[in-house]
Amino acid sequence: MSKIFPKSANKLPFQIIVYLGVLVCVATAGVTYYMTPKYTRVGYAPLQPVPFSHAKHVQEVGLDCRYCHSNVDKSAHSNVPSSQTCMNCHNQIKTTSPLLAPIRESAATGKAVPWVWIHQTPDYAYFNHSVHVNRGISCVECHGKVNEMDTVTHMQPLSMSFCLDCHRNPEARIRDPKDVFNLDSKPLAEQGEAGVKQAATFVHDWKVKPPQSCSGCHR
Amino acid sequence: MKRKFEHPAPSERALNGPAYWRSLDELAATPGFQAQLEREFPQGAAEMNGTDRRQFMKIMAASFALGGIGLAGCRRPEKFILPYGKSVEGVIPGLPQYYATAMPLRKSAIPLLAETHQGRPTKLEGNPSYEPHGSASSLVAQASILDLYDPDRATAHTKGGDVLSNADVASLLAELGKTYAATQGAGLAFLADESSSPTRARLVKKLKSKLPKAIWAEYEPIADEPPVAAAKACFGSDVKPIYRFAKAQRILSLDADFFHAESGSTYYTREFSKGRRVTKPTDPMNRLYVAESAFSLTGSMADHRLRLASSHILALAAAVAGHVMKTDVYKPLTEGLDALVSPKWAEECAADLVENKTKSLVVVGAHQPAQVHALAYAINAFLGNIGETVDFVAVEASTAASLSDLASAIKSGSVKSLVVLGGNPVYNAPVDLGWAALQKSVADVIRLGYAADETSALAGTNLAAAHYLESWGDARTADGTIVAVQPMILPLFNGLTQIEVLAHIAGEASAEGYALVTATITALAGGNAEKAMRRFLHDGLLAGSAYAKVNVRFDRERALAAYPVTAKKVEAFSLKNLEVRFVADHKMDDGRFANNGWLHECPDPMTKISWDNAIMVSPRLGKELGIDVKPTKVFGVIDAPDVARKEENNFSIGKENAHVFELTVGGLKIKGPVHIQPGLANYTVVVPIGYGRTAVGRVGKDAGFNAYPLRTAAAPAFVAGGSLTNTGTRMLLANTQEHWSMEGRDIVREANLDEFKKNPSYVDDIGTESHSPPIYGAHNSPADYNKLSREERAKLNATRAQEIPRGGSMYTTPKFDGIHQWGMSIDLNTCVGCNACVVACQAENNIPIVGKDQVLRGREMHWIRLDRYYSDGKADGAAFGGEGNREIPEDPQVSLQPIACAQCELAPCETVCPVNATVHDEEGINTMAYNRCIGTRYCANNCPYKVRRFNFFDFNQRQLDSLYLGQLGPKGMPELVKMVKNPEVTIRMRGVMEKCTYCIQRIQNGKIQHKVKVAQAGNIGDVKVPDGTIKVACQQVCPAEAIEFGDISDPTSRVSQAKAREQDYSLLGYLNIRPRTTYLGKLRNPNAKMPDYQALPLSRVEYNNKNHPADHGSGHDHGAPGHEAPKAEKKHSMIEAAKRIGGLS
Repeated sequence: MSKIFPKSANKLPFQIIVYLGVLVCVATAGVTYYMTPKYTRVGYAPLQPVPFSHAKHVQEVGLDCRYCHSNVDKSAHSNVPSSQTCMNCHNQIKTTSPLLAPIRESAATGKAVPWVWIHQTPDYAYFNHSVHVNRGISCVECHGKVNEMDTVTHMQPLSMSFCLDCHRNPEARIRDPKDVFNLDSKPLAEQGEAGVKQAATFVHDWKVKPPQSCSGCHR
Repeated sequence: MKRKFEHPAPSERALNGPAYWRSLDELAATPGFQAQLEREFPQGAAEMNGTDRRQFMKIMAASFALGGIGLAGCRRPEKFILPYGKSVEGVIPGLPQYYATAMPLRKSAIPLLAETHQGRPTKLEGNPSYEPHGSASSLVAQASILDLYDPDRATAHTKGGDVLSNADVASLLAELGKTYAATQGAGLAFLADESSSPTRARLVKKLKSKLPKAIWAEYEPIADEPPVAAAKACFGSDVKPIYRFAKAQRILSLDADFFHAESGSTYYTREFSKGRRVTKPTDPMNRLYVAESAFSLTGSMADHRLRLASSHILALAAAVAGHVMKTDVYKPLTEGLDALVSPKWAEECAADLVENKTKSLVVVGAHQPAQVHALAYAINAFLGNIGETVDFVAVEASTAASLSDLASAIKSGSVKSLVVLGGNPVYNAPVDLGWAALQKSVADVIRLGYAADETSALAGTNLAAAHYLESWGDARTADGTIVAVQPMILPLFNGLTQIEVLAHIAGEASAEGYALVTATITALAGGNAEKAMRRFLHDGLLAGSAYAKVNVRFDRERALAAYPVTAKKVEAFSLKNLEVRFVADHKMDDGRFANNGWLHECPDPMTKISWDNAIMVSPRLGKELGIDVKPTKVFGVIDAPDVARKEENNFSIGKENAHVFELTVGGLKIKGPVHIQPGLANYTVVVPIGYGRTAVGRVGKDAGFNAYPLRTAAAPAFVAGGSLTNTGTRMLLANTQEHWSMEGRDIVREANLDEFKKNPSYVDDIGTESHSPPIYGAHNSPADYNKLSREERAKLNATRAQEIPRGGSMYTTPKFDGIHQWGMSIDLNTCVGCNACVVACQAENNIPIVGKDQVLRGREMHWIRLDRYYSDGKADGAAFGGEGNREIPEDPQVSLQPIACAQCELAPCETVCPVNATVHDEEGINTMAYNRCIGTRYCANNCPYKVRRFNFFDFNQRQLDSLYLGQLGPKGMPELVKMVKNPEVTIRMRGVMEKCTYCIQRIQNGKIQHKVKVAQAGNIGDVKVPDGTIKVACQQVCPAEAIEFGDISDPTSRVSQAKAREQDYSLLGYLNIRPRTTYLGKLRNPNAKMPDYQALPLSRVEYNNKNHPADHGSGHDHGAPGHEAPKAEKKHSMIEAAKRIGGLS
């Protein structure tokens, strides 16, 4: 009786195991790199309906963040300004710019301008802007140097580990409250030895104890 | 290399998104929407189901829309931030706003604060400016917000098949007014529900002067206020009583369920609990006597409860009056009563009332005949209670015609046009009027109704009514305070209000609700009109507008003349001649909430049946009807009931397999399932009305049976001559608590007031802990703890809350080093079991409705439930040599206990979770990370309190009738239903466990807001939230103020004070799980002279019988000081076992 399988078939199980192993490793490596917010989110800079330049408005005009994002220190959400806010100036300047047409239309009709949402946290994570900016965490920590951006770009992964890194070690990222909206400032901990000391005092005096358990963000 | 992706421009629809916040009227006016209406809602019945799946959740600005899913590939879908085009004054996206409003209900109202998120009301709280209610509200007030978003509500005004615009309606109504102005109103009739609105009263007056010959009739199927006629006969003026329960030491309730059925019940519950709350042994405690036929919540709180047919209440009232006043005048009324009731009951009750002159109170149910009310007034007057425990206030006598008057006018053919405002007379009018036929006979019927119902089906013109949260209006509370009804949102479907309709007909210059209310209020308030109106809307009420208190003098002669004493023998009822009692359902009321899923799913407080009503019969009647459990042969030898302890109610795993009976009264018949209810008068059959609606939305379809076809105008509340016949069929009832007995366990710990006075820490002598090793280690026994003063105890508790390791646990426990340590205390002594907390929790925490089919499978999702136990002193268990509780007790005591997650410090659920989805946070809360949960349900199995709830289906995304189709079923929540969701709480999906987390969203937001406040004020380190700032939903709604919540690491907080009380105990404390929610033991205050006096609460008798069989029946006070422990220990095998393993210190 002749053999059904050739001799080379003996290696087949071994080969399958090896190849499967390699495949699993590649897939795991791929997922851990490509499917994390670090890859999928950072660098996201979609086109907006109006090419609004933060750099121009902050550096040339000298606007404070809170002129437009007026509720950032009151509410969980940092509001995107209503078109009315834009029109406060733009009814005087660049009144006929075609780029501003959507703003003028929105201010006239009350319909929203569809700004593309960049910094999203999932619906099950409850981030509160007011408690961060009132207690020494600057905008720049999560949003990057928006004051230098022509097109707003996603700078940090905003993943859970990103949040926890800071919640576990708030001393490293805390700023003097007067520097919170100054995106060119540095955290206290990066301002030499005196700064490190000041950061420690801040954390102690303000009783900074960021939640590290689920209930801090998930409800 | 990163992928750059140019997103396509979003579609028009994605951008426009849901835009109904302030502009739904605009949307509704577009031709596209109108066309959609035509197509989807042929008869004006809404059909907003899952076809349109625009996502709408909380997001940064007003709204956002989902777009480009298919094109975004693996990336997250592109979403948009849609800020307001024009800023809205005062709106800060992300922060809720609160406005004062009120829910009108018949002749009263419940003042409320509505929480709105960007113009979308999501939750209602009591308005704290209205002092009599505090921040409390009621079960139906909590649920009423769901009606606003009812997808089955009327969405358009229609005439015949045509849709009318609001302008069409205005001209139609104005035309009607003009037409009848010519005849001075002859031929025009109005039928409205009762209302306390001053604006409506003003407009009705105006209308009457303009159209003097028009008929204005009012009808309500339920009477919830004492008849004014009785007060007029007794006092000579139009007055109504307002009871001051807090001042009353002895209360006799004659068929009055003042926790639920009476007008002003929220106030009464709150006042009653003030007199019930005992914080130290020297505190006084009220005593409640109740005589009633049904088993109401009021009856469950009674210290002495007499089961008596409603028809016999008159005789009892007369007997009590005779004893109180030492007179024989009323004797003829009581003839035959002694055969039914021990004469001592009335005598001793009367003696107790007399002993507490000026501090006693007799209350009569609104449905009782006027004569009973007159007797109660006589007693109250004799005892000097008037002006003390009961005040009389002047009310305006109603000038409205009755429904019968209107019916005869229609019969005579003098009514050409009928305007029906609210109500639902075709469904709930007395059956002998034949209202449906009468209404049909009127040529022109205009109906203002909230949904397509029985009445609107027989009306030519149907106007869609606005919800009270969409309306400008006003109302008066039960005490007469004028409260504001403010809209939170523009009418979603262009609904109209009653005052607007009346104003159109009356030809008012402006028929705008706001203008109408302003005209009324500014006239009443006087002074600066604009200021007065602003104040009124800000406070939500007009200060000092309550009905004027009047001094009344009881005129005995006149009362006797009006209600002469005629000999009337009390006839006992029997199987052949049953009394049928119609009660307003605890949830459906008179049927007006029939399409409210929260209310349907909330179990009835006594029967625990959800989604249905039942014909309730007493256990004795059940037996005589032959629906008790028949003994069967076990192994062919022993005669035994089917299963030991199986009851007549035929339970099988949560399903109550009820017998369907036919109930006949005077030739009228209805069919319904029979539920055996302990505590009913033996031959009184109790039938809740408000179910069995035939024209109703999807939720209320097929829920229960309609009892109105038995009700006649002559006997709206109770009638004799009923009989029951078995139809031989069965139907399943969804009953959430199949077992009624505590089985002699120490779940609810009770004592009589006398025992509490001698031994304030009686709770420590009940239960397994009294014999188990001290839970907090050696030298930390309850006895040591009880030696401490309250302050020391509060301090010790504060320390223990942060102790590491806890209880010598083998598990590494997380540190409890948070700034606060949250805890809760529930006072079982004041909880009346109204279930308001259940629905408040559902509204706050986005808890889904699961439907009857799933409740039958035990899958209800309520995070807090109310357990109801009966005890008759006989649950000694066959295993312990007793007769066992094989039968439902006829006259039990009731113990109620709200249970939610107790946030155990050593939580058993946490140790079994394989994915750490449930862990403790540093402030002592047992958290749930929903997106971690993989649904093993181990935690639910390991929870000793059974408070974890599992999403067996995607209840939020799937329709309840197609759950089992799984992925094949339609998906998505109707747009309207989404709007009620609280944006601060995650919507849970299928396969996820959920439970109470002490309203973690309220805690976190409270902490954050406080931190922001102190940071901006410069007191940087003051991050501890002041006591009382954070209120959890169940605590806030509780009218009895039975729930305290707060920081237990602060010994001065209210919750710490409550927990330091001697009555404080942990449920199943011997498990050493250290629950953060603890209970305060229940007290009863019986009168030793009464014939039904029980020296020990019956649950204690059961406890003693089970745990100390040797003391069986002796009523021995187990565990009282002097209790000889070693003697008792011999009987405790557990103790023996503990000794063997060396666990007993």
